[in-house]
Amino acid sequence: MDIDDLLAEVAVDSTPEESRDLQELTRAWVAERTAPEILNWPEELMERVLERVRRQIELVEDQTGNMDPKTNFKLIVIQTELERFKFLVRSFLRARLNKIDQHPLHIRAQHTASLDSTQPLLSPSELQYLTSHQALLSQHYSASFLSQFPASLQRLDDTTGGISMVDKPDEDRAVFRQMPRIE
Amino acid sequence: MALPLPPGLTPPEIAFLCEMELVTVIPRQRLEGLELLGGPLKPLNPPQRSDISLWLALLLKRQRRANILPPPWLNTHSLTAILDHETEHGDTFSPPPRLPPQPSDNTLPISPPFLPTSTADAAPDALPYHWLELGEMLLEAASDDFEEPDQVRKLLRGLREVRMSKLRSGVEVLDAAGGIKMNGVGGMEVGEGRSFITGVIDGLRKIGASREQQRKDRDAEEAENGYSGTAGDYDDDEMDMQ
Repeated sequence: MDIDDLLAEVAVDSTPEESRDLQELTRAWVAERTAPEILNWPEELMERVLERVRRQIELVEDQTGNMDPKTNFKLIVIQTELERFKFLVRSFLRARLNKIDQHPLHIRAQHTASLDSTQPLLSPSELQYLTSHQALLSQHYSASFLSQFPASLQRLDDTTGGISMVDKPDEDRAVFRQMPRIE
Repeated sequence: MALPLPPGLTPPEIAFLCEMELVTVIPRQRLEGLELLGGPLKPLNPPQRSDISLWLALLLKRQRRANILPPPWLNTHSLTAILDHETEHGDTFSPPPRLPPQPSDNTLPISPPFLPTSTADAAPDALPYHWLELGEMLLEAASDDFEEPDQVRKLLRGLREVRMSKLRSGVEVLDAAGGIKMNGVGGMEVGEGRSFITGVIDGLRKIGASREQQRKDRDAEEAENGYSGTAGDYDDDEMDMQ
């Protein structure tokens, strides 16, 4: 380790929380976009990020009336960054919604199992989305055709007979993984 | 609302990621410090150099408020040396830049695009993770900040060709036990090869799994037939039950 390493280490430790959150969010987004299964909801990180986004939007709204060219350009920079952040958050959430839509029953079971641990799998609103979407779907199915079936064939999550009806993502799928360093 | 894209980053998403890389600019106008969502932005005072994110550098450049200093690896001299290295070593990629030390506290290790691998004091002899995207974007938006933009563009294209053919030649060993050393491969290159490579691996895995299943079934069958004599009776029993 030479002097450059020491200096760089000091620089790393003094990284402000905002920058570290951006790094963490970016990493979470990349992971969510590439992983076959849904990953744990980063609750604290998302709370901090969403709160900051909310405050920044207020700031932009406050200053939009200001026509001074100097402030105006500052506002352009702030708004550009805000849009980038919003894209990141939105794409992250939508990638999760996509997985929830594809494997609702499997994810609900996983979420219920994760409730005992410190980090639940889904956020409260994701769970709400999953539950109400699933309720609507099964209501629709039973109204349109399931009610005509014998009672023993009406279930949507039947696991008897060796074949489970609950679809699962292919958890063995190949992914690319970046190893910044080998310990 | 759900994202209709398949898993794996698409090229625009990789470019978005690349825009978070730090680059060095020479501002031509003052800009006060700003509290941005990704951390505070230091005030820009011409002609003091400053390291800022690529998206901001491009924004300033398009409005003629700053000049971008191309990173030290993005010039004819360095690229020629790297290209020579790539052609000499037929089966490995040129090594990635040296990593800064691990942060001492328990934070996440920093990875691209947050490593300062494209600022003015980055390593001149290695291609960073987002080399292709960053090079293309700088050449597109700030070609007047380069000494020989056309030459640089040509070298980038050459590098891309050489490295893509290495990646493609690796496909032949994608079966279960095969492996390719991918040290130094770039983000866009992974993105380009991703769907094909993972598709082949998964396809082979499924074929392998069904073969394995067949073998097991056959073994089980043979084991059952091993108790010959009883097998025939067993069938009869079943017939009776029906």
